[in-house]
Amino acid sequence: MSNEIIEGILEAIYLIFTLNPEVWSVIEVSFRVSLISTFLAALVSLPIGSFIGLREFRGKRFLSNLINTFMGFPPVVMGLIVFLLLSAGGIFGSLGLLYSTTAMIIAQFLLAVPIIIGTGKAAIESVDPALKETVLSLGANERQLWWELIKHSKKSIIAGFLVAFGQAISEVGAVMIVGGNIRWATRTFTTSIVLQTRMGEFGMAIALGIILISIAFILNYGLTLLQGGDK
Amino acid sequence: MSERRPLKTIISEHKIVFLIIFILIIGCSFGTFFIFDVLSAQNPNRIMLATTTSTYDSGLLDYLLPEFTQKTGIEVLVLSVGTGQALVYGEIGDVDVILVHSRSREDAFVNDSDGKTPYGINRACVMYNDFIIVGHENNPAELLPNDNITIVMTKLKESIDAGNSTFYSRGDGSGTYSKELSLWSYISVTPDVDWFGQPKKYTETGQGMADTLQMTNQDANSQGYTLIDRGTWLSFNDTYTTLKILAKSVVGEDNLLNPYGVIPVNPDLHSHVKYTSVLRFVGFLTSDYGQNLINSYTKNGEKLFHAAFGMCNTTHNCPTTEEEVSFWTNYQQEFT
Repeated sequence: MSNEIIEGILEAIYLIFTLNPEVWSVIEVSFRVSLISTFLAALVSLPIGSFIGLREFRGKRFLSNLINTFMGFPPVVMGLIVFLLLSAGGIFGSLGLLYSTTAMIIAQFLLAVPIIIGTGKAAIESVDPALKETVLSLGANERQLWWELIKHSKKSIIAGFLVAFGQAISEVGAVMIVGGNIRWATRTFTTSIVLQTRMGEFGMAIALGIILISIAFILNYGLTLLQGGDK
Repeated sequence: MSERRPLKTIISEHKIVFLIIFILIIGCSFGTFFIFDVLSAQNPNRIMLATTTSTYDSGLLDYLLPEFTQKTGIEVLVLSVGTGQALVYGEIGDVDVILVHSRSREDAFVNDSDGKTPYGINRACVMYNDFIIVGHENNPAELLPNDNITIVMTKLKESIDAGNSTFYSRGDGSGTYSKELSLWSYISVTPDVDWFGQPKKYTETGQGMADTLQMTNQDANSQGYTLIDRGTWLSFNDTYTTLKILAKSVVGEDNLLNPYGVIPVNPDLHSHVKYTSVLRFVGFLTSDYGQNLINSYTKNGEKLFHAAFGMCNTTHNCPTTEEEVSFWTNYQQEFT
């Protein structure tokens, strides 16, 4: 099997440098789905998460537990739920969105929302309470306080975003169910690796794995620089 | 010389502008894809085919479909699932046409008795390939090349009973599993994980063909056997060199032959299916042109599928009615 790994590495280099259209289609679909879903989720979840983190209200403990539970929601179950909603007999069946990238984005979005809410809330809560008091004593209103806290916890917030993105791009069950692993249309890194392994094309499978890991590494590195946390 | 200001400063001075641009980019890109996906779902030149993993993994469809698309402009999107799942997708109308291999369940799919609206109409037999039984070279069940299927199954049963062999079964809703059950039924055995006091000698993997083959290969005592379609086997026979073909169809017997049927989903039941495009697709598969393409597809020098439209009747345990043959003749003209 070690031969397979060396072959896989060589094949990966070959596929990337020859701009293999199939590999590019897989890269494009994976990133389109993961990036759009995580960014959309961030837009929705950050305000909610920071609001929950900032305020004290009745039922907060219950809500926190609920969010924590959903942070570990099994992706295949989410896939199944979205499948049933978008299937021809489902509530949104008439849109014909099953087996499209939109369906995949919806499933990934729903998985990412609790993760980003949860990490955003924890980030805001972990800011030193002294800072909160100082900012308030300087006459800041709630909006200004919120902004200050966000700025102070931005590293944790970006980390939460990365966790959500990492989950989205490495997830296989949900995108397989709602995307259907259709060539040139909804095939991602992970579903393609499953298929190639099943077909005995280990070289191609390893090549895709290597490309996926490399791209994720580069992206993470870039975001760490953006965070300013190069220590 | 003007001082270059770091990007960070520029961004923090115009937070709101950047935030709005950012939201717009994300929103617009999602919106674009959403609209694109809704529109392409209505596009009549884009049909959805559910088929079995064994057909898809063999590479046959990647070979046939570009020809069809080139001739008609119709794009065929393929979902590669088990036969059971493909039939369910057809029943609920998530796909336009199915290509499967399980005759009894295909018959149930097109069954219109008692005034029932069938899930699919105008089934056509397209091709067949064959199943083989592979196992480790030492062959504890002592299968011989000319054993017919009854003898093979009897020997396997006796060997499992004695604890000398392990059979790896798919144990899922696949066409291969249906075939396996029917082979056991020839010797009146209903396999069970407990296997009459020999637990762990009959293993239901619950996984795909390739995974099941892998588990057979990994059998701790090198005593594993499994039933597999020839196409999948040819993809892996280089990898698993200790496994050999130990039983195959003998002359005059068609129990191990594996006929594939294509069935359009009934537009009376699901008005959204793209029936007109499906008729052209089936016309293509069953035309002389399509049938020749199927016959010319090889892997490692071996022919994987045998075209069989219109002649399943007599030889391959897969009856086709005259009515079906004449129905599809009309749609084959385009491809001659």
